[in-house]
Amino acid sequence: MKEEVKVLLVDDEKLVLRSVEKSLVRAGFDVEAVGDVTTALALFKETIASDTPFDIAVLDLNMPNFEGEVDPTAGLQLLSKLLEAQPGFPVIVLTAFDEVERAKEAVRRGARAYFVKGREADLIALIERIIQD
Amino acid sequence: MDQTETKPKILYIDDAPSSRRLVERLLSAHYAFFEAPDGLTGIDQAVAIRPDLILVDLNLPQFTGYEVAARVKALLPNVPVVALTADMTEHVREHALASGCDGYIAKPINADTFEEQVAHFLGGRRETLEDESFRSAYQQTLVARMEEKVRELTRALKSNAELNAQRDQLLQEAQRRARLLEATAQVGRSVTSILDADALLKKTVDILCDVYGFYYAGIFLVDASGDWAVLRAGRGEAGAEMIAEGYKVKVGDQSLVGMAIAERRALLALDGAEEPLRLKNPHLPLTLSEMALPLMVGAGAQARIIGAVTVQSKEEAAFTVEDMTTLQTMADQLAIAIDNARLLKDLEATHAELVRTKTFEAIATATGEAIHWVGNKAAPIPGSISRVREDLVKYLLMACTLLKEAPPELREHKFAQILLAAEATLAEQSGNLDVEHLREELAHQPLRRLQRTLNLESIFEDLNIVEQSARSILNIKEDLIGPARQKHLEPVRLPELLQETVRSMAIPKEAVRFLLVEDVPPVLADPEQLAHVFINLIKNAMEAMYQVEDKKLFIWVRTADDPRFVVTDVTDNGSGIPPEIIDKIWVAFYTTKGDRGGTGLGLPACVKIINQLGGKITVESVVGEGTTFSVYLPVMKA
Repeated sequence: MKEEVKVLLVDDEKLVLRSVEKSLVRAGFDVEAVGDVTTALALFKETIASDTPFDIAVLDLNMPNFEGEVDPTAGLQLLSKLLEAQPGFPVIVLTAFDEVERAKEAVRRGARAYFVKGREADLIALIERIIQD
Repeated sequence: MDQTETKPKILYIDDAPSSRRLVERLLSAHYAFFEAPDGLTGIDQAVAIRPDLILVDLNLPQFTGYEVAARVKALLPNVPVVALTADMTEHVREHALASGCDGYIAKPINADTFEEQVAHFLGGRRETLEDESFRSAYQQTLVARMEEKVRELTRALKSNAELNAQRDQLLQEAQRRARLLEATAQVGRSVTSILDADALLKKTVDILCDVYGFYYAGIFLVDASGDWAVLRAGRGEAGAEMIAEGYKVKVGDQSLVGMAIAERRALLALDGAEEPLRLKNPHLPLTLSEMALPLMVGAGAQARIIGAVTVQSKEEAAFTVEDMTTLQTMADQLAIAIDNARLLKDLEATHAELVRTKTFEAIATATGEAIHWVGNKAAPIPGSISRVREDLVKYLLMACTLLKEAPPELREHKFAQILLAAEATLAEQSGNLDVEHLREELAHQPLRRLQRTLNLESIFEDLNIVEQSARSILNIKEDLIGPARQKHLEPVRLPELLQETVRSMAIPKEAVRFLLVEDVPPVLADPEQLAHVFINLIKNAMEAMYQVEDKKLFIWVRTADDPRFVVTDVTDNGSGIPPEIIDKIWVAFYTTKGDRGGTGLGLPACVKIINQLGGKITVESVVGEGTTFSVYLPVMKA
């Protein structure tokens, strides 16, 4: 059992990204905050075989996709690729309060949970619960 | 040589061909024989050939032999005229002589003596009238005949007058028909050109009354229920009043219109006295006859009845069945036109509904996007605030922990008073904050860990996150509401406005170059709104140049090629806009600025403001070289 839980955090909104990152770091997580899906996937694949693989990923849904175009399913695409690379890997999707349907779709596609942005303390509890399982 | 030149000429007037053949046979050997079958021909021939002797049958049709004799004697007094007759009436010979005959030969003709008798008259024999009373009797006969002729003439004149009257009437009929056809043609022309149903109906009643001279014309259309025919157009004040009061008749009731619609055929009511019920309408007191024509679309069993036309006259029996046929043709055309106009109206209504729906959709989409966008921008705020709060509490806890271990006199220090009071307040009003948990964290976390999370940079960063988030949310407000704000239009001189605006934006002087045509005419605008537009464009330009070392903002104000406009160019030497997104820049909530605070509303708001002023914004851009936004504003009218 590692000392720190390693989290891959992906969101193109810099302020959101930084804020969530800070909350997670405070909660004791080892956080890699990434602003685009391409970098995120590369980082994930790089570390998958290393001795410090990610334990969980937290992904925004609406971001520029792998072609760089703003795409409400960009997070879903990344989710598929992460699960492809490592089946069963725990993923939490971040969603705006008015996009919950798309987040539920992500859960149907294999995400462990979705989280409505804004209450970061709850996100910490959610990550801890998923890691415990 | 022609023997007729030398032989004596004899003209024989008789309507019986057999008599003429006999006489010819008897005389043609020694005489030139001429003949005529009736009195008139005989007289004409006598004048033409000037015969030496005329033989005339007394019993001729039309002109009698007596009259022929009298006439010939007047024209050719020296030519002997001999009556030739089978008339055995008493005194026929005397009558003949009285009428002017010079002699008398009884029929049947005696072939043995006839030529001799003729020769005698040719030779100068003349019989004389012994009794003069026959002459006056003959004159009386003539008078009687004359009177008879006058009577005939009078009768003829009279019948002539009747014929004339008849002709006049036919002419009037024809003219009336022509006017009616003209009215029909006019309606026909109108119906193809007028697509607005109400205008069409109004025009039709006017044509009917103006051209045909009807006292009143009105058009009823069947309502949606099919039970009522509602007056939709009516001639003159009466029509206007009836329409104002929503005049309608029940389909199938006793009114002519109601019946015409129910029975689907044209109906006439020609006698005001006989049909008071049908014709009684307080608005149209003078109506004495009425015709109602159904308005039908389509033919046969599929025909739909859409209403009826009524035409009314102040005269009784003003309409004929033929009028009905002609006007029904017009009504058929009208019906189609009304139906077309209705279809068009439906189409327009559908279109308007579609536009409304689309507008609503656009608003809903824009609102949804706005809410989503605001939600995203606001998302980091609660996290940052709660961290700052935690950090504040942690600093307080640390200070108080140190204080408690400090010498007692230090605890009397005024700063210590404030810190301890704050700790007491925290104990009372910690709210959701788990103060004990924080205290434990502080106590147990190693220094490295504490250093990582608890520092002033982190607090400032969080405050900065809050500030930036709030600022981009506030920016959206001006962009959304700006164009709708109340405007104070006044003459604006663009060169001054632009210099002022740039000055207010604190842009490095060396980065801006102006080219301002001094005498450019003023434009009519709200200077604040206009400044907002240029601030937006200049901000965009500065942002496009944020990676450019040698920033060049070029502002050029001049009169446009079209002298009715003043154009302001805002040109940068920034990154340029890729062709594939150049159309999207006008779309609300489209932004390329990512986290740099763009709402995606700035440019759409600018376009809206400029459009409201009657101007336009265009853009030209080359990737890697820069972008020019051109703002066209109409020159203020003097």
